[in-house]
Amino acid sequence: MTEPERQLAKPSAAFEPRLVAFVCTWCTYAGADLAGTSRFSYAPNVRIIRFPCTGRIDPLLVLKAFEGGADGVLVSGCHPGDCHYTSGNYHARRRWAIVRRLLEFTGIDSRRLYFSWVSAAEGRKFADLINEITAKVRAAGPFEPANPARRRPWT
Amino acid sequence: MDLNQALRTDAAALLSDGRARLVIGYRAGGAGDDAARRTPFFITDPARCDALVYDASCRQNLASYLRKPEVRARSLVAVVAPPPVMRSLVLLAAEAQVTDSLVVVLAVGEGVYHGVLDIAQTAALLREKYADLAIPAEVVREIERIAAMTAEERAAFWTAEFARCTRCYACRAACPLCYCTRCIVEKNVPQWISMAAAGHGNYAWNVIRAFHLAGRCTLCGACEAACPQGIPIMLLNGLAAEEAARAFDARPGYDPAEKPVIGSFKPDDKADFIK
Repeated sequence: MTEPERQLAKPSAAFEPRLVAFVCTWCTYAGADLAGTSRFSYAPNVRIIRFPCTGRIDPLLVLKAFEGGADGVLVSGCHPGDCHYTSGNYHARRRWAIVRRLLEFTGIDSRRLYFSWVSAAEGRKFADLINEITAKVRAAGPFEPANPARRRPWT
Repeated sequence: MDLNQALRTDAAALLSDGRARLVIGYRAGGAGDDAARRTPFFITDPARCDALVYDASCRQNLASYLRKPEVRARSLVAVVAPPPVMRSLVLLAAEAQVTDSLVVVLAVGEGVYHGVLDIAQTAALLREKYADLAIPAEVVREIERIAAMTAEERAAFWTAEFARCTRCYACRAACPLCYCTRCIVEKNVPQWISMAAAGHGNYAWNVIRAFHLAGRCTLCGACEAACPQGIPIMLLNGLAAEEAARAFDARPGYDPAEKPVIGSFKPDDKADFIK
């Protein structure tokens, strides 16, 4: 099955959501690392992509993930006040507030887009968060091939 | 003296005493079609100021010409500006794109003429007389209607709207705030937004364009008026403006010293959606 065919295929009974997590290296990535070294098990559906800072996570990256068929996206970084670069997460927070409204308004279900603060000490929170999001995205079902944000093969 | 008479007199005076080298306004008619239409009018000769008009049919935002080098080379440039355009100019000043040594404002309103103003005077006039410029009521109603739909219905609505987009970028050309010399849509290493006039590329273009105007758009409506395909662009602009106002008290275009909404922050910004 080619990639476009796979993307357009009807969901099988055993739907496994694909999550993309854009995380900052200083807090949430370290938190995910702690979840691993602490042997917390969490849903294997998440693909973690590491960035220097949430301030670097352009909304275009979120769109790219949805274009490519991600069923859900998480953006996560340092708690307010903890940014390694002082203010990257504050800038990101303003952007997210607008972007989530625009995406929701244009037809991306709010159950597919999540934002969180996870510190390097919060391995438990990270594991629980991924489990919770995976369950919600599973309930939302596969990201519809007909969604305008979704890449489609030429017809 | 009525609006148009006062406007013509002041424009001619600006040109003849050398305070301005170019006046950008509106005149009746277009390329051979109906007289009700209003088209941009570039004047360097004071004798031609008699053809200047301003009325409610003037929908194009003339501040969009200020990004062009051939216009900037003719400073001072006098621009005929109704309130949304005045806001564009004040915002451009806040973003360091125009100064008093580039532009002078011929401020007009509905049936009134406010005179020749500099940026600070324009901002003062806006705060005094036009402080309550709101998102147009029909745009707010339509936003509410769409927001009440299910996600699938919204996706279907925007699929149909964006499918018509030919990616002519008239919306970008019409907007004075889209002044990047190299737009994100033209950046192709990597290709952030598909150039094909279809599908996800149209979605990304329209959504990102609205996002880049969040907290900046002054809701002049020039983009939607310019769109040859009738895509309801103002719904996206209106939604972003609504959210910027609600979450960050954004009032773009009222203060030439204001900080950009996206690009500044407050440590106590509301963010109830972040887990």
